[in-house]
Amino acid sequence: MELSCKEVAASLGGNPIVKGIDLTVKEGEFIGIIGPNGSGKSTLLKCIYRVLKPSGGTIRLGNQDLNSLSVKESAKQMAVVAQHNYYNFDFTVQEVVLMGRAPHKKMLERDNADDYRLVKESLRQVTMSGFENRIFSSLSGGEQQRVILARALVQQTQFLILDEPTNHLDIKYQLQLLDAVKRLRLTVLAAFHDLNIAAMYCDKLYVMNSGRVIRFGTPKEVLTEQLLKELYEVNAKITEDTESGLLNIRYTPSYMKG
Amino acid sequence: MKKKNFNKENRLLLHTPVYIGVCLVLVFLLVLSLFAAVTIGSVNISVKDVYGVIACRFLGLSGFSGYASGSIHDVVWLIRLPRLFSAIVIGAGLAVCGIVIQAIVKNPLADPYILGISSGASLGATLAIMLGVGTVLGGNYVGITAFMGAFAVSLLVMTIANVGGRANSVKLLLAGMAISSACSAFSSFTVYFSNDKEGIQNITYWLMGSLAGAKWPAIKVMYFVIIGGILFFMTQYRTLNMMLLGDEVSVTLGTDLHKFRRLYLLITSVMIGFIVYSSGMIGFIGLLIPHFVRMFFGTDHKKIIPVSALTGSVFLIWADVISRILVPKTELPIGIVISMIGAPCFIYLLVKKTYGFGGNG
Repeated sequence: MELSCKEVAASLGGNPIVKGIDLTVKEGEFIGIIGPNGSGKSTLLKCIYRVLKPSGGTIRLGNQDLNSLSVKESAKQMAVVAQHNYYNFDFTVQEVVLMGRAPHKKMLERDNADDYRLVKESLRQVTMSGFENRIFSSLSGGEQQRVILARALVQQTQFLILDEPTNHLDIKYQLQLLDAVKRLRLTVLAAFHDLNIAAMYCDKLYVMNSGRVIRFGTPKEVLTEQLLKELYEVNAKITEDTESGLLNIRYTPSYMKG
Repeated sequence: MKKKNFNKENRLLLHTPVYIGVCLVLVFLLVLSLFAAVTIGSVNISVKDVYGVIACRFLGLSGFSGYASGSIHDVVWLIRLPRLFSAIVIGAGLAVCGIVIQAIVKNPLADPYILGISSGASLGATLAIMLGVGTVLGGNYVGITAFMGAFAVSLLVMTIANVGGRANSVKLLLAGMAISSACSAFSSFTVYFSNDKEGIQNITYWLMGSLAGAKWPAIKVMYFVIIGGILFFMTQYRTLNMMLLGDEVSVTLGTDLHKFRRLYLLITSVMIGFIVYSSGMIGFIGLLIPHFVRMFFGTDHKKIIPVSALTGSVFLIWADVISRILVPKTELPIGIVISMIGAPCFIYLLVKKTYGFGGNG
């Protein structure tokens, strides 16, 4: 399953936010999008997961135009974990995860044993087994996000979108959530705030600024001290850990320059 | 912390077989209530006579043909039973409409009347009682005008909420409230400028709701509409659940809520219109029962729709009995009884249980 965007544009309240983006995610890749606040990352992702309608360009999922698919059909091929999940009513974990089976259900179809088996299996994959009957809103932020990931997993899609999924989470849960995703070897497109996290997990990165892609490449190619200065107006030192080969971005606050 | 305790003590209730068991118990309770309540009333009729009439009418047993007419027959068959049967269907209908409206506007404070349906109905009734609007419609012209008022207002709310972009729960609520106050203003205006004391009393009585006017032909139609609506919503539990997650999440789960919201609103307005037509405005039950059931069964609509329907029926049967016998020789408006008994029970549960009423996020 390949996702490709061609000259995708989108506006919010008349203001152009995304201005002609070309982007491709090949099967099995873990692709990240980074960029400062307001650069259009989330807006682009929302166009892809169909909460917003793009004002121009085409998005193709596999060999089909996204517009020609019903939301039900696209939800069978693409699942989403977004940053904010606040529910005003008390659902149990099992009920929340079970909703991920909705796109596979016909109008009058009831839940069957297979659905419950899938729910159990996904909760195991995100290490949340045994939480089935807990009330979702009583869980910690990290637990909630993992439940939402489990819900995305029972959709049984090839393609997964993560829209800043680890915001507000402790570092432990950030790593736990993304490790769970990485283990599943899905095709992933994810927006990140934290550059260290993005560098750790992504095969390639798109860098966005004011609605355009300004760089594309592996984290090592893209993340340079010069780019951070240009993009975020911060000073940073980027080193490579000799043991793990991971990038390490250390920001230098301006008060220390003296 | 408290939530965990709540969950532990109710863990059993969350499993499917238990909820089916509870439904069966409630059906049994409903039948039992029906048989008990039919023997209670302001006219003293022996239990044997009451069941004689029932045996004669329902089973056609020849041994009971002596009960086929006469004043005992009339009280049981034409007054008590129609009332009880309409209590069953109205209790169930209001409870389920309460749940559906709460899901549509994604707000735990909503009740079946929140989208202006009540004010529309009372404006219709006020115009009928005070100005004689719709007298050509026959005997129950007040009910019919109220039905039309209710239905017109829900259509208007839906239309207004859809102007300038798709309707969402907040727009629906605000449109409902605005139209609601406009309708109330017109009702008050009509009442203020009339000197009809009796009319004002009629309106007050009507606004409090009553099952006294129940008649068999109307009940047949009611069962068709309300039970049909409830069965329909029982099949819609997945979409109703998603309504509580919001539009964005629902799209990623393959459902565009917009058309469902419209369809559900239309169906609930027809259901509530019929309820208002037959019994006026019976309040509070549509808020009370959904929350009461959620305290034990959580939010999953698969479980709470059937359980609430049955609980609503049983509750309204007994509320009606109490309204008939609490004050000797007088019948209290049922709305008063529901609030007088329901509110303290509700507050007790609110304090005692740790159920969040959707407030704990």
